[in-house]
Amino acid sequence: MVRNSLFRKSIRDMQNAKAQFISIFIMAALSVTIVTGLDSVWKTVEDNTNIMYSATNISDMWVYVSNPTEKQMWSISRIQGVEHAEKRFTLNAKSDLAGRPTLKVYAFSSQSALDRPILQQGSMRSKSGVILDEGFANKHGLGINDKIKLKLNKKWTTFTIEGLALSGEHIYSVKGTTMIMPDSSKYGFMIIHEDMLKGIYGQKIYNQISIRLSPGADASEVKNEIARVLGDDLIGTIAKGEDSSTNNIYANIGQFRTLSTIFPLMFFVVTALITQSTMFRLVENQRGQIGVLKALGYSKGRILWHYTSYGVYMGGLGALTGFLIGPVFFTNLLIPWLQLNLSSNQMSINYVNLAYSLLLILACTGGISLYAGLKLLKDTPAFLLRDKPPKEGSHIFLENLPWLWNRMRFSRKLIARNTLKNKMRLLMSVLGITGCTGLIVAAFTLSSMVEGIARYTYGVTYSYDHKIILDEKADSRYIHNKGLDGTVQQIKETAIEIIRPGGIRTMEQLTIFPLHSPLIHLQDVDGNETHLAQDGLTITRKLAQTLGVKVGDFIELKHTDKSYVKVPIRQIIYMATGQGMYMTDEFYESIGETFKPSAILVKWNQQPDEAFLASDYVDEYVDRVTQIEDTKGSTQVVYIAAVLLIIMGAILAFVVLYNSSILNFSERVRDLTTLKVLGFYQHEIRALVLTENILSVVFGSIFGVPLGKFIADVAASGMNDQLDLLSHIPFTTVVISGAITLLFALINNSVVAQKMRSLDMLEALKSVE
Amino acid sequence: MDFITFENVEREYHVGNSVIKAVDGISFGIHMGTINVVLGQSGAGKTTVLNLLGGMDSPTKGRIMVGGQEISDMSEHELTTYRRNKIGFVFQFYNLVPNLTVLENVQLAMEICEDPLDSKEMLIKVGLEGRLHNFPSQISGGEQQRVSIARALAKNPEIVLCDEPTGALDSATGRKVLKLICDSAESMGKTVIIVTHNALIADMANTVIHMKDGKIFGIQHNESPKDAEEIIW
Ligand SMILES: Nc1ncnc2c1ncn2[C@@H]1O[C@H](COP(=O)(O)OP(=O)(O)OP(=O)(O)O)[C@@H](O)[C@H]1O
Ligand SMILES: [Mg+2]
Repeated sequence: MVRNSLFRKSIRDMQNAKAQFISIFIMAALSVTIVTGLDSVWKTVEDNTNIMYSATNISDMWVYVSNPTEKQMWSISRIQGVEHAEKRFTLNAKSDLAGRPTLKVYAFSSQSALDRPILQQGSMRSKSGVILDEGFANKHGLGINDKIKLKLNKKWTTFTIEGLALSGEHIYSVKGTTMIMPDSSKYGFMIIHEDMLKGIYGQKIYNQISIRLSPGADASEVKNEIARVLGDDLIGTIAKGEDSSTNNIYANIGQFRTLSTIFPLMFFVVTALITQSTMFRLVENQRGQIGVLKALGYSKGRILWHYTSYGVYMGGLGALTGFLIGPVFFTNLLIPWLQLNLSSNQMSINYVNLAYSLLLILACTGGISLYAGLKLLKDTPAFLLRDKPPKEGSHIFLENLPWLWNRMRFSRKLIARNTLKNKMRLLMSVLGITGCTGLIVAAFTLSSMVEGIARYTYGVTYSYDHKIILDEKADSRYIHNKGLDGTVQQIKETAIEIIRPGGIRTMEQLTIFPLHSPLIHLQDVDGNETHLAQDGLTITRKLAQTLGVKVGDFIELKHTDKSYVKVPIRQIIYMATGQGMYMTDEFYESIGETFKPSAILVKWNQQPDEAFLASDYVDEYVDRVTQIEDTKGSTQVVYIAAVLLIIMGAILAFVVLYNSSILNFSERVRDLTTLKVLGFYQHEIRALVLTENILSVVFGSIFGVPLGKFIADVAASGMNDQLDLLSHIPFTTVVISGAITLLFALINNSVVAQKMRSLDMLEALKSVE
Repeated sequence: MDFITFENVEREYHVGNSVIKAVDGISFGIHMGTINVVLGQSGAGKTTVLNLLGGMDSPTKGRIMVGGQEISDMSEHELTTYRRNKIGFVFQFYNLVPNLTVLENVQLAMEICEDPLDSKEMLIKVGLEGRLHNFPSQISGGEQQRVSIARALAKNPEIVLCDEPTGALDSATGRKVLKLICDSAESMGKTVIIVTHNALIADMANTVIHMKDGKIFGIQHNESPKDAEEIIW
């Protein structure tokens, strides 16, 4: 029964300080929601990706080579570290569906062991049957037994869909550099039987070798060996992780992983500070009661547990709520936006971090409460029962600045003394506001970064109307003679193998166009207009970072059908999207290659030449307006994230401000009443309590800006390896974020002011405390 | 013409279902510049009368006039203005602001009124010139009460209201405090109303209002009030 009465006491105490205890609960719940939620996102992606990788038996490396000989295959399979190698054929082909979407075609034999599809429906029954990308099929309303027509080797061939499947190589499915985000309606994969190639190409052909490495093998060592075996026949090698699908998945995982560790930290600290200010005040107020309990004979441990339990209840309850909400909420909200084609979205929970966050939250709540109890418990009951030592006023450092102090009004002095006496509380609100502003700044910065991609790429860099991908048979001369009515820019886009300083091989995009291009406007990293270097490579800032190279370094480029040529990096440029290497057509020819355009950019003088666009010299084309729309549409996830960030910021701001104003208010009811009796108006009294909030808003908003930039940078870093996001924070963002934070503070202040109206003058004058 | 008049003033409190008449239809008048004592036992309704007069509470019935103004039907805001400019309070428990020094506590009150007196002079007058920069917790109860008096007077109010000003003090200190209130009020021409349950204090007043159970049962005028120092309790 004894326990019962103490328990009843804690329930009543909590009811009396409802606002503070609810704040502790909310903060604990929010902290755990964010940790477990974000953790669950990356864990779910990682687990389900790994499930697919092992189910599809995905390769560790793909080698691009045209028609490898049996001898080459044998030599490769003998390389130390290579466990298994098999050849296959793969090619992007246009389909006849609406919008002419591209399918990546893979030719398989019945012996293929690597990169198997995961069948979702049907199976490949005949040699003329195909297995189609399930997502692609759904987007185009295709099913088993439907027909699909593809242009292969310049001929249209019709296939029958016999199965629908997922592929480990197409979890994050983007087509080269023209697509920013996956879109199943525009790009997918299709698997045909390799015997079909005979009918199409007149013979069985291969252009890729899939490789399984033995455990612990050094991938870059194997790459070098493969290059040695294939010699000039090598086009390039891509290891798993360098391919855009895996690369983007890892980036997503890394992004959420980083966010889940740094992001909640702020919330934990605020939880601890709120508990601190609440519990210290509660225990201080109950000194007499603690004395009575001690005098009654309660053991130290029991009294300590009594006070610790306040924090434990709130922290535990909050953590439980957070755990119930976080994973479900975050995975359901965010994972669909990542546009991954996973075989399952089965939610995974990171139990290790869950345990850590539980311990941490209990330390922030229960631990702090225990500490508050310990502080008073060392006093003897007799001392505790005696009147509380009078609340000391004390001089503050500002008084040593007479020119300032003497000029301050008394109400200001009162605010200054009170604020400086409660430094922890000030810290709590400043930190909370810093967090709030940071989140808002991050939200705006992220959205403006992403908006910037479309604006920059299709507003600054490119000024064409159409980008037209040419068919094989269209060459420079043909384009020239065609005499299209408009400004025409021939460009060549290709992927080549490079060896960077240090000997590491990767495949990178190379784009070639003339020095002075009327439709391409390059800018350097500071935003100044620039053009291609004439005597070397120009590379984008982001690629330079990834490769770890700078101006003056040399890179080896793989010649078509020949050996490597060493070229210097002469220029670094900024590209919002489409990271890669650039050079002039003259320089390209000077290293012994021939410039044959793969695409043209056109700015029409009048109407687009529809006849030309429809001709079979054109493989596909896209207009700039569509590209802008696509870019905007595909990056919508950022707006969801922005809204989430602002909501979290708002919660943070309201919780800390409400809490600190209520504490501030209840601590000083007596003073305030005296002032009211003396004839201070309501608004003057309000100012005494609420000015502190404005102070926190000012400081918090200032500290929040760099925090916001940091959060935005981390969030942006893993978004997509093709994007180079400029996290420059415009002054308007700072102003707007500050204004929103201030608005939160004003809303809070008016709520608190409502509460302050009820200040009962007569009550407070009755007794000493 | 009375400076202050109460006409059938009533103040009810509702506690649960029962109604408590803290002040039950009282009428009296007070002259300007006099010293008045409201005397009665605990629960008689003295504090309620003082609060009504000080504009901290409003009557449920009746009229209160101060200097020709009816304060019983003023709005919250008007009452605050009234308190700000016309009233000086001295409380039983001093009610100083612990975070302000002695001097600042007095300046605080002056900051808001129309025609304040010099705060330092006021504190010198109550004998605290040596403690100007101390905080309330650093001085004794009697000294705190003197600060409270200085604070009330520095506002230069027309009326000084004191609720059991000596309640927390020993008799010698109490006497000094009372003398201070009366002397300064007299020299400055203030109207003083002191609430107490101590009948001996009544001897120093021009007028004594006796209260019991919310009612007045006698008003007594002293022809020659005693000096505060002559009172013994
Ligand atoms: N807020 C209130 N609610 C209910 N009853 C009240 C309230 N304030 C005062 N009373 C009642 O009104 C009556 C008069 O109270 P008041 O405080 O005026 O007495 P008092 O004469 O000042 O007594 P004391 O000498 O003990 O201070 C008392 O019976 C008291 O219980
Ligand atoms: Mg009383």
